[in-house]
Amino acid sequence: MASHTQAGADVVLWNASADAHDNISARTYGFWLYLLSDALIIAAVVACYAVLDNPLNAAGGPLGNQFLSASKGLVQTFLVLGSVLSYSLATVALKRGNKLGVGLGMVGAILLAVLFLGIGMGDLAALSAAGNGFARSGYLSCFFTLIVTHALHMGFGILWMLVMLVQIGVFGFTENVVARLLNLRMFWQFQASVWVVVYIYVYLFGGAH
Amino acid sequence: MAAHNDPLAHPEVRQGSVLRYVLGFIASGAAMYFAYVEALGKPPVVELLEILAGALLFSLLTQAALFFGLDISRAQIWKSVSLILTVPLFIIMIGITVWAFASLYNRTMPDPAIMNSMAM
Repeated sequence: MASHTQAGADVVLWNASADAHDNISARTYGFWLYLLSDALIIAAVVACYAVLDNPLNAAGGPLGNQFLSASKGLVQTFLVLGSVLSYSLATVALKRGNKLGVGLGMVGAILLAVLFLGIGMGDLAALSAAGNGFARSGYLSCFFTLIVTHALHMGFGILWMLVMLVQIGVFGFTENVVARLLNLRMFWQFQASVWVVVYIYVYLFGGAH
Repeated sequence: MAAHNDPLAHPEVRQGSVLRYVLGFIASGAAMYFAYVEALGKPPVVELLEILAGALLFSLLTQAALFFGLDISRAQIWKSVSLILTVPLFIIMIGITVWAFASLYNRTMPDPAIMNSMAM
């Protein structure tokens, strides 16, 4: 008869050196999957823009090549990349547990993002004031949707940074706060990735043909 | 991955590096500036499309590697894998939509260029 070991205190059921549950990694991976799904929403809007970017859908109104400024878009590109750099440098300060460094990096990121949004929203306001608002044509509806969708993400990111500045002051670098800061880093970097797609396709390709 | 009592010792916190982030900013910014300069020269559409697609791909790859820190390390590999598996979805969503509507316009609608000249 084969020997049979009864489960008991002396039986090792699990590998003692196995990985423990990692809360921070689980949260950042979950947030990463959210970002990928968010990217698909952006892709849907870009696809819509690509379809509507022709004179037929401009309904006699302007197309991008008549009102978009590639140089102003380039300034916005450097502002958003600078903002991402500033936040990224804040996370280098996080490595050292430097609250002041993290705070300064986030404030720099917020200021550059506000400048970025100021230029973008100013352009949309000027376009609307000239009678070329959201409802002027199918093309402009999609253009406004694309730009405003990105701007809303930026606005939410700014709000999130303000909340994190408070949380760092109140709670310090706890596991929850660090996980949120890492998620916010990905969220903020994602905004730069989306913007370079918008700049290349809408401002440079759309503006040049 | 082992649990860390100190959240600042987590691999995703430790991966931050000034050099990497500054390089990411310079590389991505340079690609955008290059694309801007080339687009100003108004090359033919196909050539412009190739230049812009190349600059965009370069910029996105440098951001993925240097800002997001995606690689095949134990801490990041599943993020890299999920991104790679999502890329075909981007291609399907944008590519097939554009292709379908371009075909639709060609088969069912007047030439947009003609419509535009009529509107002028």
